[in-house]
Amino acid sequence: MPAADPPVDPLTETSAPAGTSAAALRAAIPLFIPAIPFGLVVGVAITDSAMPTAVAWSTNVVIFAGAAQLATVSLAATATWLTLVATAAVINLRHVMYSAALSPRFNDQPRWFRWVGPFLLIDQLFALTSVRTSLSGPAWRRFYLTAGIFYFLSWTTVVSIGLVVGSSIPVEWRLGVAPAIMFAGLVVLGLANRPGIVAAVVGAGVCLLALDVPNNGGILVGAISGVTAGYLADVAEVRRAEARRGTADER
Amino acid sequence: MNTVPAIAAVLSVGMITYASRAGLIVFLADRPLPTNISRALRYVGPAVLSALTVNLLAGGQGIGGVEFVEVAALGVSIVVAAVARNLLAALAAGMVTLWLLLWLL
Repeated sequence: MPAADPPVDPLTETSAPAGTSAAALRAAIPLFIPAIPFGLVVGVAITDSAMPTAVAWSTNVVIFAGAAQLATVSLAATATWLTLVATAAVINLRHVMYSAALSPRFNDQPRWFRWVGPFLLIDQLFALTSVRTSLSGPAWRRFYLTAGIFYFLSWTTVVSIGLVVGSSIPVEWRLGVAPAIMFAGLVVLGLANRPGIVAAVVGAGVCLLALDVPNNGGILVGAISGVTAGYLADVAEVRRAEARRGTADER
Repeated sequence: MNTVPAIAAVLSVGMITYASRAGLIVFLADRPLPTNISRALRYVGPAVLSALTVNLLAGGQGIGGVEFVEVAALGVSIVVAAVARNLLAALAAGMVTLWLLLWLL
């Protein structure tokens, strides 16, 4: 699920008082629409999964993170427990960023909310709540919980619909390809700058070369290479910008 | 995958997901991440998702598992995603390409 453009629609802010549950829902719904096809794909992937269907479905409640769920249910056929868990851990690293960015907002919140809130922290909820700087205390908490629970319930519903529909679709339709297409689309929509493109190309290229590494280890090799390449490209870009500024100053 | 290892895998991924979301909120309330780490973390998304795409395309059969029709479908969906900035359009374009090629070839 891409964390889309600034999610705040000025209209939703004015039509319902900020901090009410109604305002939270009005802000939350538009951001959910792009996640619907993704949820359907996860549902179809659950029917395709090498895991028992009920266990694969339980990822909605136990994991509640689209990309990690999709990886878990679709890698089950070929990966060992260790690669599966390691892959999910790498996919989830962006949540560490969200957690880092939101932690100051949780300072004045009660302890129970510090423990419960993070469970709901998907991309959309981060996009919505991190920009609501005008809200704090109970108002921000109500906003966070309303939007978060809405996402949790809608996500589970959409995945379940995908599961029901998916099991009646014939194999010849090759819906098994959909997760790969979805991940590629997420990469493209998430690309914001040149180092990001470097990270994606190196990640895919190294994984392609490392396909014969046992237990899907190529995913991790590719991911680590991609992150390193992206970081180095980022550093190089900053250096170049500084050098340019330096020569401009000399003139 | 049998039921018990599947449950173990789902629970482990669930715990890791929760830990990565909750860790800094619960334990490190206002200490910021070092800038180098947060800069590197920015590239986790593109790197891991593109590696995962390649791996899923191969389907655990090495390079021999990559089929031309699937690569073509993926290529079309990437172009559509870049131009239309819309995940649903990209998915639809990719699947339609795949079905057309399977029917033609």
